[in-house]
Amino acid sequence: MAQATKGKLNYRCPSCFMRDIDIDMFYDEGRKEYYCLRCNFTGSEADVLRLNEAARFRYRYMRMRVTDFGADNEPIQFAPHKGGEP
Amino acid sequence: MKDKLIVNIIHRPELSPEYAEKALGKGEGVRDESLDIFRFQQDCAHKYGLKTTIQITYASLFSDVIIDLAKKEHEEYGDEIGLSLLGLPCPEFKAKYHTEDFCIWMFDEARKAEIVDDVFGKFYEKFGFYPESTSSYFLDAFTINYIKEHYPTVKCAVATCWEEGPKAYHTCNNSWYTFMDGGPWNPWIPSKVNSHCPAKDAADDSGIVAIPHLSRDLMACFDGNGSNFGTHPQNVLRGMIYYNEEGEYEYPYLYNLIDQYHHLAKYNDGYSYNMMFVGPGWLNRRGRWEAPYELLAKSYDDGMRYYGRLKEEGRLVDMTMSEFADHYRAIHTDYNRGECALWKDILYGNNKEYFWYADPAMRTCLDFNQGGAMIDLRPYVARIPQKTGIGTENVYDASYPYLIQINYRAGFFTHYAGAGTIKSCKVTCRGESADLCLCRTMAVYEKVEGGVRLTADPVTVTLGGLDVVIRSTFTILEGEGVVVTEREILNDVGGEEVCFEEYFTGAFGTTEYQADMSRLTLSVDEDSMTYGYLGRKIEKENAAAARVVIPDVLTAVEMGGDNDLALVEEGIAFSPVYHLALRKTITKGGVKTWLKLQKAN
Repeated sequence: MAQATKGKLNYRCPSCFMRDIDIDMFYDEGRKEYYCLRCNFTGSEADVLRLNEAARFRYRYMRMRVTDFGADNEPIQFAPHKGGEP
Repeated sequence: MKDKLIVNIIHRPELSPEYAEKALGKGEGVRDESLDIFRFQQDCAHKYGLKTTIQITYASLFSDVIIDLAKKEHEEYGDEIGLSLLGLPCPEFKAKYHTEDFCIWMFDEARKAEIVDDVFGKFYEKFGFYPESTSSYFLDAFTINYIKEHYPTVKCAVATCWEEGPKAYHTCNNSWYTFMDGGPWNPWIPSKVNSHCPAKDAADDSGIVAIPHLSRDLMACFDGNGSNFGTHPQNVLRGMIYYNEEGEYEYPYLYNLIDQYHHLAKYNDGYSYNMMFVGPGWLNRRGRWEAPYELLAKSYDDGMRYYGRLKEEGRLVDMTMSEFADHYRAIHTDYNRGECALWKDILYGNNKEYFWYADPAMRTCLDFNQGGAMIDLRPYVARIPQKTGIGTENVYDASYPYLIQINYRAGFFTHYAGAGTIKSCKVTCRGESADLCLCRTMAVYEKVEGGVRLTADPVTVTLGGLDVVIRSTFTILEGEGVVVTEREILNDVGGEEVCFEEYFTGAFGTTEYQADMSRLTLSVDEDSMTYGYLGRKIEKENAAAARVVIPDVLTAVEMGGDNDLALVEEGIAFSPVYHLALRKTITKGGVKTWLKLQKAN
């Protein structure tokens, strides 16, 4: 069997990404799966995309736009971001 | 100019960008693609009415196409032509120097000088003048001083990546050796002795204005990977801080980050700064970090579009690097003025607030989510004359040492035994204690005579059923290396005794791991001991000061002020830290203490 190769968009390991490690995965054509050289993750492209979405759990304000930084000792005011606008 | 965001937009044409070469292999394909990326970046900026600084790389000095393009865009758009010490790797460089190294601060001194002369000489040959700006991921004092001495036209340099150290190393699977933690996050005038430290006076002034490589999120980067949270659109993609809505990718975080940098004008006399410096490897056609080229290009265009819009609205001024250096010097006439950033979370939804501060004597951070505890401290007052590069003790580690860094060396929370580095206060009453680290609050900034003051919103600790309402105030004396802390009881506690223990738990180093502490000396007034890992204490009633001297980083730390008892305590092998503390019991009013950093020869 031929050696593994990089995937089409150099997918990083989603398991390692969640612990702040960027490591590109390799693709095993024989098993039709991505795998991580460092940790024990293996998965399909669909698995990777699903877990990349899951990794965003910590960014609760990822879709929010600051409307007012407020007084020093008050929370920032946010509003949902309007697509297509800065 | 007051209250307007100043932006530096910087592009470097690399003909062998490190990332693209790995993805595409070496050869003409990479060279052509790199040139196209550079053109795309330039076009993006100009399309939105923004001027740039072109940082010419070594490889591009061998390209007539790039030299002609730079000259043309200088004429047409007012772009500055500078000279980068990034982008050294190219066939010509490797053939001449027989090395795969590419970080200027990692060469030995003779080779640094040789490369600088080579690069500046070639630049002069091609352009007929010497540049006014230069750049690298990091520039050590030796290199800056050498450049300034031999090429005095240089007045501005990209000289550090903020908090790129162990975190970047770990994120890159322990393979990216750019250790340069501990510097300022915003522009500064570097000391001649150590480029991390802002100059203290004209004699210490290296003669350039340093700017950071990117404007980074001052909260996200303290814990997370710096390369995910900066004003580099592809960094935001790397961090996966974007989403797809109706077929369009959106990344409002990038705009929030730019806006928060603008907001910092409030704490810096109306001055605020931003920079974007994206190398071509980040825009290669194969995509990067799961993002297709189309998204990479769109994000760059959107970043420029936002700067352009702010400029149109009269809220932003674009400058070249040398223009910025002149402006910075014009408005920073007091070397001791502290750079301030009261920074709020804009990504995680946690309402945390940090106060970052840097002046010639210290860099520090107070975390108001931990009651105002000091979570980072760098003793610039020591001006540690670190040399970096081959042949020195720091071949690759250029970080400025910390005394406190809560993520590298724990903080309030430790596992079962020992203590982490932090400065906070423990309050005791009716036999119960609470640490103000566990009181989440926010603070108000004010500029005061000779310094800056942060006043935290009052917090309540409940001890043995008694509520004690406490207000904490932190005053940093600019250029003095002094932080004055006041804890005030705001409610009537019915005459009950409340004990405040103001404490400092420190270490020293640049990584997570502690070097030997056997050279430290701990003392209270005249009584002292040499650190021996035995957990010993020295206590004294009504002392003048508790003190530790750390010869390894040429620093002494002293605490004094209101106290019934002062103490110092050494750590143990399992917990190699040191403690200074002052205890004072009161029934009303407040307690005032001070922390002072000094150079110890």
